[in-house]
Amino acid sequence: MIGLDFFLDRFGIFLSALFIFIGLMSFIYSLVTIKQKGHRLEYYLMLLLIVGSGVGVALSYNLLLIFIFWEISTFAIWRTVGFYRKEENIHAANITFFINFAAAAIMLIGLVILYLDNGTFNFFEIKIYNDLASVFILIGILAKSVTIPLHIWLVPAYKSVPSAIGGCLAGIAENIGVILFLRLFTAGNYFAPEFFNVVAWLAIATSIIAGGAALLSKDLRDLLAFSTISQIGFILLGFAVGGTYGMMGGALYILAHALAKSGLFYGVGIIEDATGKSDLNAISGMFKVSPVLGVSMAFLACSIVGFFPMIGFFAKLGVIVGAVEKSGYFGIGAIVAAVFTILYIIRFYNKLFFGEKTGKIKNISYTGLTVVFILALVSLLLGIFIYFPENYLMGNGGF
Amino acid sequence: MSVNILGFEIEMYYLVILLPLIGGLFGYLINRLRTEFNFVGFVLTLFFAIKLFIISRNEVISQVTATIFGFDAKIYIDSLAGFILLFNAIFAFLIWVYSLKAMSKKPRERAYYLYIALTLAAANGVVLSGNLIFLLIFWNVLVFSLYGILLVGKKDSSFAARKAITIIGVADFAMMLGIVILLVKTGTVNFPFAPKILLNDPWLIFSYILIFIGAIAKAGAMPLHTWIPESAKVVPASTMAFIPASLDKLLGIYLLIRVSYFIFDISGSMPIRIILMAIGAITIIAAVMMAMVQKEAMRLLSFHAVSQVGYMVMGIGTGIPIGIAGGLFHMINHAIYKSCLFLSAGSVEHRTKTTQLDNLGGLGTKMPVTMFTFIVAAFAISGVPPFNGFYSKWMVYQGVVELSGETNLWPIFLIAAMFGSVLTLASFLKMIHSLFLGQRPKVLNKVREARFDMVVPSLILASACIIFGVFAKAIPLKHLILPALPFEIGEIGFWDPRLATILIIVGVIIGLIVFLLGTAKKPRRSKVFVGGEILDEEAARITGPNFYSSVNTLGMLKKTYDFGEGGAFDFYNYLLGITRGLAVVFRDVINSSFVGAYKFIGKLISALSRLTSALHTGELYNYVGWLFLGGIIILILLVL
Repeated sequence: MIGLDFFLDRFGIFLSALFIFIGLMSFIYSLVTIKQKGHRLEYYLMLLLIVGSGVGVALSYNLLLIFIFWEISTFAIWRTVGFYRKEENIHAANITFFINFAAAAIMLIGLVILYLDNGTFNFFEIKIYNDLASVFILIGILAKSVTIPLHIWLVPAYKSVPSAIGGCLAGIAENIGVILFLRLFTAGNYFAPEFFNVVAWLAIATSIIAGGAALLSKDLRDLLAFSTISQIGFILLGFAVGGTYGMMGGALYILAHALAKSGLFYGVGIIEDATGKSDLNAISGMFKVSPVLGVSMAFLACSIVGFFPMIGFFAKLGVIVGAVEKSGYFGIGAIVAAVFTILYIIRFYNKLFFGEKTGKIKNISYTGLTVVFILALVSLLLGIFIYFPENYLMGNGGF
Repeated sequence: MSVNILGFEIEMYYLVILLPLIGGLFGYLINRLRTEFNFVGFVLTLFFAIKLFIISRNEVISQVTATIFGFDAKIYIDSLAGFILLFNAIFAFLIWVYSLKAMSKKPRERAYYLYIALTLAAANGVVLSGNLIFLLIFWNVLVFSLYGILLVGKKDSSFAARKAITIIGVADFAMMLGIVILLVKTGTVNFPFAPKILLNDPWLIFSYILIFIGAIAKAGAMPLHTWIPESAKVVPASTMAFIPASLDKLLGIYLLIRVSYFIFDISGSMPIRIILMAIGAITIIAAVMMAMVQKEAMRLLSFHAVSQVGYMVMGIGTGIPIGIAGGLFHMINHAIYKSCLFLSAGSVEHRTKTTQLDNLGGLGTKMPVTMFTFIVAAFAISGVPPFNGFYSKWMVYQGVVELSGETNLWPIFLIAAMFGSVLTLASFLKMIHSLFLGQRPKVLNKVREARFDMVVPSLILASACIIFGVFAKAIPLKHLILPALPFEIGEIGFWDPRLATILIIVGVIIGLIVFLLGTAKKPRRSKVFVGGEILDEEAARITGPNFYSSVNTLGMLKKTYDFGEGGAFDFYNYLLGITRGLAVVFRDVINSSFVGAYKFIGKLISALSRLTSALHTGELYNYVGWLFLGGIIILILLVL
């Protein structure tokens, strides 16, 4: 039933490398920001658990093993969200845990049904899909990958999580849901167009609704949370519509979003630490304070929006080509979501960086700045030299 | 077609993209050698652009260089692309020369040159791309550089930049969808499209409209123009002359012609053509009406930059070869005279430090060359013969008239175009008066002519206005416009600019003789007095801006103007309003209902657990009672 069932394929290696890079960046940023004496050790353990469980999901072919990593990830998120141990942090951590855990329990039922039908947990050998099982598993995936209607845990979670590990949350922990979706459903044995259409529409609706909510958010963390929900909708859309471009776009989108969102998270963390505020309307003129941060965040924001020199452009292009190949209406939905993205990102960026400088500003940590800069640079270089990730993913044994 | 540089064989079409990029980037990094690096960038780009233009007249360069992301990175240079490429480089060079003095010691000067170079590189990339996806990529870089260059402002320009990037960015996404639909439906987006795609499938029509939106957003036609007047107030004149006045027009109209006659063929689809012409007509009239009442030089010019796009879109929309050629010709003429106007007004601003028409006047004797260039360009834009603007407008009119067999709406478009021309002339008379004629405020008595490197670009552009007008048939039409278009055009009316020019010159000479012979040389001067008190000259100065104030106080029009100034016709406001309205629904209705549902589930569970915890009282007899009850139930079940 279970053993050390791991395998290496190009997609898995690609994801592992990405997760470890994101984890490393998070670790460096943590060194300067996590100073609480008491449970600092626990923090680093949880950081490693999140990275490790992400890599585990990416490289395992045993559904039960994936489930175990899944639960480890849930546990680690629970601990990190409640890291500051205040009343509201613990409340947020509980919401996070309950929703993820309940959805995972339902998912386990689905996995067991698959096991009973096929006699194996190895997803390469699963040939008989039960619709009920698919729906149960989908519930787990949606909760982990923050898709409507199971997305609400992310907003309180982002509000209370330390900014140093927020990047890991956005870049690793929330991606494992879509990875399971790709591994289990789009391997080529599951034929249920309605299922994929429903998931695609759900992804588009999530993207648009969360984009709208991000457009109105006053709090920086809220905005990041809704932005993440919206962007993961794009990833799920890419995988749900399938096709070479859809899968490619989805995979690149994981890359682009992980880099850009963790960069933005650290950037926002720097700004919060420097100004002591997290209200979008109360902070302005940050460009004069730190031009390097301004330029880096501009690159990261462009990557989220999907403008060319960034990797985000190819990710979005791939998803949209995949969507239109399936149906033009998916394409229209995706573009509407993209329009919301550009609106809220520009609002976010312009308000933070231009206008009058806000009052007291503390020194900006150079370590944090370096991390943001590296993430922006990697986004830029991958966008310009798109040939390398594309060639790697499309090569023998890839998509 | 390749050149040998330091032992490396490099294709010229890479150089026109790479050279400005390298020049700009190194100039930015090594500030001390900025001018040298920029010189290499702009001058060599111009040189290679000229070479490529000459090659493209005889042969089409079409080459797939790589395949990236499943798309062919294709270079495709036909005579249309060569023509646009040439003018990209020319305008960038002229603006760069002008900026050397105009931008020196201004804040963020370094970034300005970087963005100018980046814009040129991306614009050349757009023109050279033989694949719509790669065109989109370079188009995206232009958004990036536009945002950057608008942030280099005279004062805080972040709002204008935000507006610009929002409008252009949204239009870009529309264009992306259009290109993707075209790709999926036809299987290829490589140039050349043979046979051309007919608009017979709803998705293809949708695709055309989406790409069209991208093109007119770049060109600045209504209703996607509002960032242009917004940024006119806050960015330097050279930026305005470079981006909205010349390069954006070149690229926008280039894409419009490409998509309308090279990729799709809209000449078979009357409704689409009427939509195009209607957009053109509305743009001409509405923007020129706004221009008439402006009191700030740059803003006034920027509304004309919008208004003139109407002629181009209308000409292209006619679907008649001469109209399309007129549209293309008008595009290049517009780029010439409008950048000349912006540069001349910029020179005035450079010397006087103001652009408020109220504070200017009588500069003609102080800045004669600038006045000359400005007046030439102003007459050109107003369509006064024999300047270039007249000729291209004439061609557009002729295209509209030739429509008479196909639609009954043509008189409306013709009247709109002609009326727009009249209003343009009217508003430029006001501007010429306010800047160069009239009485001079005392503070401006020490103003001098701008330095020669600011005057020379304007002079070159002004002489191009004259040459392109007088020798229209012999030079621009024969060498630039007609080879670029895929069809034959017939005879262009009965208009012969050379004869007309001679007649006009004779007329002017006769007028001068009459003027000199008559008494007009010695006007009667008398003191102005009000209420018995003699006013000094400063108080009695008549300024220009209120020439047409009566227009915006006329009943109906007044309301419209108030709406216009209040942003009622601003696409940006509508976009933001609609999306924010939707967002409120999304957040406060849909999202909140999910949150509410979870809260309800939480309450339900805690109520249930309160019920079960009520059963666990911790008292022994309670549990014994339960045991007893359970035993009885089991017994009954067993018995039954």
